Amino acid sequence: MNWNAFLEFTRGQLFNVALLFFIGGMVYRLVRVILLGWKRDRVPPAGSKLGGVVKTYLKGFLIWPFVPWVKRTFSRNQVMYLAGGLFHLGLFATILLGTPHMLVWKSLLGFGWPTLPLPIVDWLAAVAIAAMITLLINRRVNPVLKLISGPAEFFNWLFVFLPMVTGYIMTHHLWFPYEVLFSLHMLSVDVLLIWIPMSRISHFIFYFFSRTIHGTEFGKRAVNP
Amino acid sequence: MNEETIYQYLKKKGASRRDFLKLCGTLVGAMGLFRSPLEGSDLLDPTIFESNTIQKIAHALENKPRVPVIWLEFQDCAGCSEALTRSQSPSLIDLVLNTISVEYHETLTAAAGFQAEANKEAIMQAYHGQYVLVVEGSIPTAGNGAYCTVGGRSALELLTEAAEGAAAIIATGNCAAFGGLPKANPNPTGAKGVWEIITDKPVVNIPGCPAIPEVFTGTLAHFVVFGSLPNLDDLNRPMTFYGKTIHDRCLRRPFYEEGKFALSFDDQGAKEGWCLYKLGCKGPTTYNACASIKWDAGLSFPVQSGHPCLGCSQPDFWDGGGFYQSQSAPLNSPEITAVGAAVGAGVAVGAAMAAGSAAQKKKVEAEEKRSES
Ligand code: HEM
Ligand code: SF4
Repeated sequence: MNWNAFLEFTRGQLFNVALLFFIGGMVYRLVRVILLGWKRDRVPPAGSKLGGVVKTYLKGFLIWPFVPWVKRTFSRNQVMYLAGGLFHLGLFATILLGTPHMLVWKSLLGFGWPTLPLPIVDWLAAVAIAAMITLLINRRVNPVLKLISGPAEFFNWLFVFLPMVTGYIMTHHLWFPYEVLFSLHMLSVDVLLIWIPMSRISHFIFYFFSRTIHGTEFGKRAVNP
Repeated sequence: MNEETIYQYLKKKGASRRDFLKLCGTLVGAMGLFRSPLEGSDLLDPTIFESNTIQKIAHALENKPRVPVIWLEFQDCAGCSEALTRSQSPSLIDLVLNTISVEYHETLTAAAGFQAEANKEAIMQAYHGQYVLVVEGSIPTAGNGAYCTVGGRSALELLTEAAEGAAAIIATGNCAAFGGLPKANPNPTGAKGVWEIITDKPVVNIPGCPAIPEVFTGTLAHFVVFGSLPNLDDLNRPMTFYGKTIHDRCLRRPFYEEGKFALSFDDQGAKEGWCLYKLGCKGPTTYNACASIKWDAGLSFPVQSGHPCLGCSQPDFWDGGGFYQSQSAPLNSPEITAVGAAVGAGVAVGAAMAAGSAAQKKKVEAEEKRSES
């Protein structure tokens, strides 16, 4: 097997299997959570559920995180706040606004969108990589984080880090032939896709899920039995 | 014929000493040093760069007889032969072809039928261990090789027989190198490249569709002059010519970096000469010399003239995704039925597990009640 054939495998069959596992796995996780049961409204709620949801999103997702002193997230752990934010920024910029990645979405969804020039994406990717390294060190140093970090946390880090570095090295044509890094990039992406449903990286869906549920709870202003 | 040296042969054809030395100089070029920056030149024998290189080559040609070549065609279109014989840089190609004597070539040989076959066998015996075997076209292995026969014998048989006495084997074109078009999925003839069949001898692959004539002759010149094969990459392609990708040397590369892409073949981007990545260019993973040697005596090459690279010098390029589908897109996205099945499986397993835990919860609660009362 040469790299060419390996690339074909990681871009082809393996990617297919990983993607299907990802879809099936995430559906499984969602079904499990949904079937945990719902609280029924025993009295008509006094407040608006929708209003609650909107408020929660504004607070938790769209505004408050960018006003760091409000919830004291910044003063508690500056590194986590800054590096965490920059990591997410870099990640989304690369996988949504990088040309090769947009074309992946396009091939799967059927439509595309404008992308950013390579040097901008490239800097944001570098920022995300630096942020990830910072976060890892923080996790190893901070006493509280040390206590709550098990192997799963480090796998989370590793399986996100690998696509980031292989992508970066590949874009810069460093050290290895392009198809070697392309293969490794795809392999690491395939591993990540399989890992996500089994890990807390699934928060990219559950975050919105639980925000919504909490929002309705906050908004409805009713007595729960 | 082969007892006279290349120099004597050229003299007989009316070449002067000066012409001869010019040929030697051209051969330096033919071996991959004729355009700067040099491709993979750090991998070449460093003595090539010494000032007396031409003299060394002259010395070799003065003492060596012309190299006999047997050229076999199997599942091919003769495109590689066509590209070579109709090349737009005839001086170079002619000169190299003067250093060899093509003894058997199905398209070019004047003789036909059993006569031609008999001649080939005589040559193979007379020059056993000395001739260069060039193969064009893939070799079908299904059905005992019945899909391609010459003179009633299968390609497989003819190839193994000719390879046995060859001093060197050159597979020209993607078909002979990697199976090419005949090997495309579902590969009905069981087509294979030469190096998958001949494993006890090095096979030099000159893939391309067709192979670039200058690359073919350059490789041949290396064998004629040095009596050895050039440095090869892991797909047995000469590093000199296949050391860099099209993307590495592409004239549209600055646009790639800037994110300026042609989105169709006649939009403003296409007219401005922007990068063809979004139109399916396979340049980033394709190793060949198109972007530096180019075609038609250095006139142009596909990407320059506005068409994305198809990746024709890579294995399985027919199955490497659509020609107009971008390279980063997955080779094939899952069928909608498969996605449905995955979702269904997720729901089913999730619901079953949830039902299981609910039943367990009930049981535990019932037990707790019982123990309370
Ligand atoms: C199917 C999934 C994916 C495909 C086909 C893919 C493909 C690619 C390609 C072709 C490039 C190189 C572009 C170039 O040479 O200029 C690249 C770069 C990159 N990829 Fe991916 N990728 C995928 C998923 C991911 C994921 C999930 C991540 C992050 C976790 C990621 C992170 C990166 C990064 C950081 C770069 C470098 C960007 C830069 O430095 O400008 N990729 N990817
Ligand atoms: S046209 Fe093709 S080879 Fe040239 S820069 Fe764009 S992707 Fe690379």
